[in-house]
Amino acid sequence: MTTQTYTRLQIAADQLRAAIGLFVARNDRFSVITLAGAADVILSRLVLNTGQSNFTDSIIEMEVEKGGPRQTRAVAGTAVNDMLLINAIKHFDQGDSGTVEVDDLDECALAAILKALPNYVALAGQNEDWITAFYYWIRQNLDPKKYNVNLDPNWVAPAA
Amino acid sequence: MDIFLRGLSYHAVITLAGAASGLLDGMLRAQAGKEPFVDYARRVCEQMAGKTPSRQSYYHHIEMMLGISAHKHLAETDTETVEMDLYESAEKALTRAILDYIKLNGRGEPLMNVFLRLLWAKYDGAHLVAEYENVPKQMRPR
Repeated sequence: MTTQTYTRLQIAADQLRAAIGLFVARNDRFSVITLAGAADVILSRLVLNTGQSNFTDSIIEMEVEKGGPRQTRAVAGTAVNDMLLINAIKHFDQGDSGTVEVDDLDECALAAILKALPNYVALAGQNEDWITAFYYWIRQNLDPKKYNVNLDPNWVAPAA
Repeated sequence: MDIFLRGLSYHAVITLAGAASGLLDGMLRAQAGKEPFVDYARRVCEQMAGKTPSRQSYYHHIEMMLGISAHKHLAETDTETVEMDLYESAEKALTRAILDYIKLNGRGEPLMNVFLRLLWAKYDGAHLVAEYENVPKQMRPR
């Protein structure tokens, strides 16, 4: 290969496509989380650069609507990334134990993809084959009582 | 390694190797008391340039060189595009991670040995080993 020019969107799209491919093929979940998490960092910034709100902003607004405090983007983003293990599986600091506890690795991997995907769709639409395939996987495999499997914008999440 | 050897996505290889290096670097220092690749590279820099760069700045420099930074960060002021030799970056990012992995866990992984054989053939391993005999002790990995 030789040196070529890549857009940031190309890089993030490739990372997200790889994450989805590994996920639906039931391959390594830690790789899925790392790839989707890295894609989301790039996509979140690209969305902001276009003047739109990114997915983290939506989460902040949802929490405010529920009566919670308005968090900064950095605080909310870090909290979500910690919850999805995104930070724990790419950093090892002095004093870290060497183990990571996780309730449901599948859920973390799926959530990492579902966090990055709206940002990609906001930038590039949803016509790519790998997105269509993932939507099909969602409809076939997820519980419609728990997940918005038909991507209905008026869908309301059940109370936890 | 699996993704690299099958040529599925070199962007994914760079991302995953970079994340693995982040963990392995910390584990080598904190748990094993061994010298990670970054610190070895700093020693080489000291021997060649007469000055030891700070760990943080050299870590960042290596991640920039290998394209890892472009795969995990984007600041408001960054350019819209990046230029890189994708295959070369993936190969080097993976090599760096593997060197730290071997220091920590040895060479038992079959896929890793396949990758190392590829490097051996591509870079004329026998010639490199012969040249390595002339490398001063202070410029060798610990």
